[in-house]
Amino acid sequence: MNRGLRWVGYGVALAAVAFAVVLASRFGTDPGLVDSPLLGEPAPGFDLAPLEGGDPVSLADFRGDIVVVNFFASWCLECRNEHADITSTADAFADRGVTFVQIGYQESPPASLEYLDTAGRSDAAFYLADPGSRTAIAYGVFGIPETFFIDEEGTVVGKIIGESDALTLGATVDAIMRGETPGQEVTGDTQQRPDS
Amino acid sequence: MSERLRNLITVALLAIMATVLVLLVVTSPSESDRVEAIGARIKCPVCQGESIADSPSQMARDMMALVSERVEAGADDEAIVDQLLASYSGAVLLDPPASGATLVLWLAPLAAVALGAGVILWWRRHPSPEDSPASVDVGQTPARRLAPLLILAGSFAVIVVAAGFFLQDRDGPASGVADLAGQDLDDVSNDTMEAVIAANEDHPEVDGMRLALAERYYEEGDFSSAFPHYLAVAESSNATQPQAVTALIRLGWMAWQGNGEAETALDLLDQALSIDAGSETARYLKAQVLWCGTAEDGEAARLLEEVLSQSDLEEDVRAFVSADLEAIRAGEACA
Amino acid sequence: MIAALGWAGMLTALVGAILLVVRGIRGGRTGAWQELGGPAQLLLSGAIGAMAALLLALITDDFSLVYTANHHSSLTPFPYDIATAWAALEGSIVLWGLVLAGYTWFVFRRYRRDPDALGSAALAVMGGVAIFFFGLMVTVANPFEVCVQATDMGCAASSPWPFVAVDAPLNGPGPNALLQNHFMMAIHPPMLYMGYVGMTVPFAYAIAALAIAEPGPEWLRRSHRSTLVAWSFLTLGILLGGWWAYEVLSWGGYWAWDPVENASLMPWLVATAFLHSGIVQQRRGMLQAWNFILVISAFSLTILGTFLTRSGTINSVHSFTQSAIGPALLGFLVLVLVGSFVLFSTRSDLVASSPRLESFVSREGTFLANNLLLSVYAFVVLIGTTYPLVLEAFTGTQVGVGEPFFDRLAVPLSFLLLLVMGFGPITPWRTTEPGLIWRRTRVPALLALAVGLATAFLVTRNGWVVLAVTLGTFVVATMTGLLIEQAGRRTAKTGESTGQALRKVVTGDGAFWAGQLSHAGVVLVAIGIAFAANLGAHAEVVMAPGDTTTFEGYTITYESPFRQASPSKTIEGSRLTVTRGDRLIGIVEPSWNRLGNSPSVVGTPDVLHRPSGDLYFTLRDLPDDTGRVTIAFDTSPMIWILWLGGLVTVSGGFLAMRARRRERVGVEDRLTADV
Repeated sequence: MNRGLRWVGYGVALAAVAFAVVLASRFGTDPGLVDSPLLGEPAPGFDLAPLEGGDPVSLADFRGDIVVVNFFASWCLECRNEHADITSTADAFADRGVTFVQIGYQESPPASLEYLDTAGRSDAAFYLADPGSRTAIAYGVFGIPETFFIDEEGTVVGKIIGESDALTLGATVDAIMRGETPGQEVTGDTQQRPDS
Repeated sequence: MSERLRNLITVALLAIMATVLVLLVVTSPSESDRVEAIGARIKCPVCQGESIADSPSQMARDMMALVSERVEAGADDEAIVDQLLASYSGAVLLDPPASGATLVLWLAPLAAVALGAGVILWWRRHPSPEDSPASVDVGQTPARRLAPLLILAGSFAVIVVAAGFFLQDRDGPASGVADLAGQDLDDVSNDTMEAVIAANEDHPEVDGMRLALAERYYEEGDFSSAFPHYLAVAESSNATQPQAVTALIRLGWMAWQGNGEAETALDLLDQALSIDAGSETARYLKAQVLWCGTAEDGEAARLLEEVLSQSDLEEDVRAFVSADLEAIRAGEACA
Repeated sequence: MIAALGWAGMLTALVGAILLVVRGIRGGRTGAWQELGGPAQLLLSGAIGAMAALLLALITDDFSLVYTANHHSSLTPFPYDIATAWAALEGSIVLWGLVLAGYTWFVFRRYRRDPDALGSAALAVMGGVAIFFFGLMVTVANPFEVCVQATDMGCAASSPWPFVAVDAPLNGPGPNALLQNHFMMAIHPPMLYMGYVGMTVPFAYAIAALAIAEPGPEWLRRSHRSTLVAWSFLTLGILLGGWWAYEVLSWGGYWAWDPVENASLMPWLVATAFLHSGIVQQRRGMLQAWNFILVISAFSLTILGTFLTRSGTINSVHSFTQSAIGPALLGFLVLVLVGSFVLFSTRSDLVASSPRLESFVSREGTFLANNLLLSVYAFVVLIGTTYPLVLEAFTGTQVGVGEPFFDRLAVPLSFLLLLVMGFGPITPWRTTEPGLIWRRTRVPALLALAVGLATAFLVTRNGWVVLAVTLGTFVVATMTGLLIEQAGRRTAKTGESTGQALRKVVTGDGAFWAGQLSHAGVVLVAIGIAFAANLGAHAEVVMAPGDTTTFEGYTITYESPFRQASPSKTIEGSRLTVTRGDRLIGIVEPSWNRLGNSPSVVGTPDVLHRPSGDLYFTLRDLPDDTGRVTIAFDTSPMIWILWLGGLVTVSGGFLAMRARRRERVGVEDRLTADV
């Protein structure tokens, strides 16, 4: 019995150390960060009407282009910060086989349009409405801003979680053009709708 | 009534009541809402730990609407769950599947119960020798045994903490918006640089990037793309002197080389010289324009002499400057 | 200045703690009396000083303190400005230290009465724990950092030392919106901490007993009262947390198996096992090994819980911000676990000696079953909470473990525990004469099934509800049967009236009957949960002002939208009237609250409390310009039974404390369940 207890004691002590080492290895990581299962997979298709209405735009229309899909909303601070960068990058890559698509997330189209009127738009980009968040769900959006990069064959090759900037966006597109797969990068926090 | 009969009646009564109760419960109409059941298995991605069935957030309700639609379309439970997992990964499953990595979670409780029961039964069978009162010398033991104990425990603690720091997965969030000043721009395309510049027009350090991009265009011979950037740098109040000078020189030379506008070129080169009087490049180029453009050979020669009088001029530069000077003095037309 | 006061407090407490350790160890080794009063006083006064300084900074809006600048706002109303003292990480450690110092003082008072090696060593352990927590305060979790470079609404650079030039921002962002919405923020954490920290006391005694090699019931006896206090407060803290979540947070529900909720449940389960198992050791000297393991585990689980919430390793709605405190807490946890269990192993000869278990069908047997069930329960919660972490560390795969998993295991375990609760108190010690259990349970069983059938016919045929009511009735019936049996025996012996006999029976063994009261409370909790979780109704309706709808027999009319703005809060909601038949039941105003400086909105439901349960109204989205909004209706049937049960459970704990004092007198009068 004593021997049994002794083993119990030492055993628990050892298990405690092992457990603690495992816990320690998680320091500095973000427990909420999820690796997107879409990387390397065909991008979920969408067929969405622009914010102001009209004929729907579908992902298939852009096969052969590099497509950058960004989810945004006016209530998202980081989205506002990155908006100018997205617009300028869309303009810069306008005739180079790169299409930027911005999709409104959890927001009524009139609200998004009002925001875009002040924040600016790129003539080369598309601004679409996502009723029922079906596309956001298909892309596994946890919060915004999230930006997905789809290569010419329609495979998701990159994802930026958090606020991006022109250099990151442009460099990622450059990398895809060279045939690389940038993967997932976290640049900052994402937001949920304030009344969630 | 005898005790036995009473017991018998009691047992019978208990049995009957229990049976009726179980039957009542088991046959009760349970409205199993498939949509709710599926929803209860999926975690709402924008909330803390709630299922999409429970969460009031808009995203959860949208996801429930999707589930609802798929149920009505005839999809089976697993297919619907798999569809959501394909988008979000297994991290949104609230109920770990009974397979693979999470099989442990299903087995461990059972193992724990079995272990506990086993230990108790074993202890029952192998009791310790009868009470031996603590026959240990109280005075001696604590001191001898405790110190190494504490050292042992303390060192474990240190090891753990150290291990934690070294094993840290340092994939924390990257820095925010790119710092224009310190980026390695070799891999970056012109379009990207255009985008960055356009997005950061008010940034105090954007001129460096403009200049870099403009130089690229210039070297490619794409003067029309280079022009606006050089112009912006030349007019910028944030540009450093060397930057402004470079821009003006380039502008001047492009005006002459590209459009043959000698007057404009001279004006720009003079501006450059007014900022940096010692700029040999400006002098040289101005001399070229004067010689080839406005045919003011004398002024051109004088400028070239000023260039040659610089003591820190490189040999090959000195060579062609001298050659040009000779050509001018010889009255040759410019080549 | 306040920072200097705070520092003085922290350092004083640290000095006291160090002295406690040094002198305590000396006393543990020699058995001689030590001057421990002074150190205990230093510890307590230092802790009080630190907390007082923090509160002062908050009340006087002193933004030169980084803590105030980051978590407080001049717009924050009372009592939330006080609650800010423990709303954020550094402050919560100050609270922990204060409660710890308080408990240490009580341990000292016990030492004053019995100044021996055991008491000394126990104080040394308390001092050691205090060194850790106050050590945290002066290093990584310093609440008295001062701001040396302020920005508009925050602090750009700070210094841990107070004697520098300070630059205070004008205002701060205030506490998280969720933490300003309900007065429970001022009460729930202190209650919870009284529970958590209280587990340090039996732990200290246990380690002391092992260290000085004096096992036996003495360490249990001395710490029993503190264990009861800690357990009662922990129960209360968990109950209040559940009630708060249910009342206010839109994510609804009184229990969500959130990692931090689990972190409070695990020590509670183990502490409950310890409380019961300790009785066996005091009575019969058995289960000593169990008790050591249980109390070490309970204390370790409180540290683990503290770690999980503050280290950023687990995602939870309760998470504090990440900081360097994580590694420190982890290191301390390892120190505690490894040190305690290695010590346990080296003393295993002493620990192992205990009498034989004569029969499983005995009080000891039921306690053993109880230990096993509660331990498995705690283990299940532990692996469920930490498995995602462990798995991701090893394989990188991400999994989720949530309510379905925990419910699947917790529900059967809970019902098994109810069953044991019914049999345990009526099973005599040592052995049972054949037929006794049958005699004591046959009527309760009949009664239980009868009530179950009545429920099935009259209320609902939902299996969980029926089972909970049946088992609950069984438990209450067996306990009542025992009471009647003993009172009857007493009357036969002494000729007292029934009332008098009953009273004498209860007061004669106060601790036991207080425990039975707690059991009754647990029964009520189980029934309340069964009803509320299984029989609730839900509906969502889009309503515009003037609309009427019906739900569960109630008629709800949307009167008007409303808006209230004040400097600290903006409320936007809808006013609804609820009638049943032609009787007005109530007026409710579910709303969205936006707090002064915060951009986010907090959904604030409104509730009607009725005898049949609660009627819950929540706004699902923001009202549009016409006031049109989606409203969710929910019922929580009979949920008041849950709260009542919780309170009864807690009061059982407190009554048990009082009973023990009186028990020393009149032992002869006692008729216990031994018979």
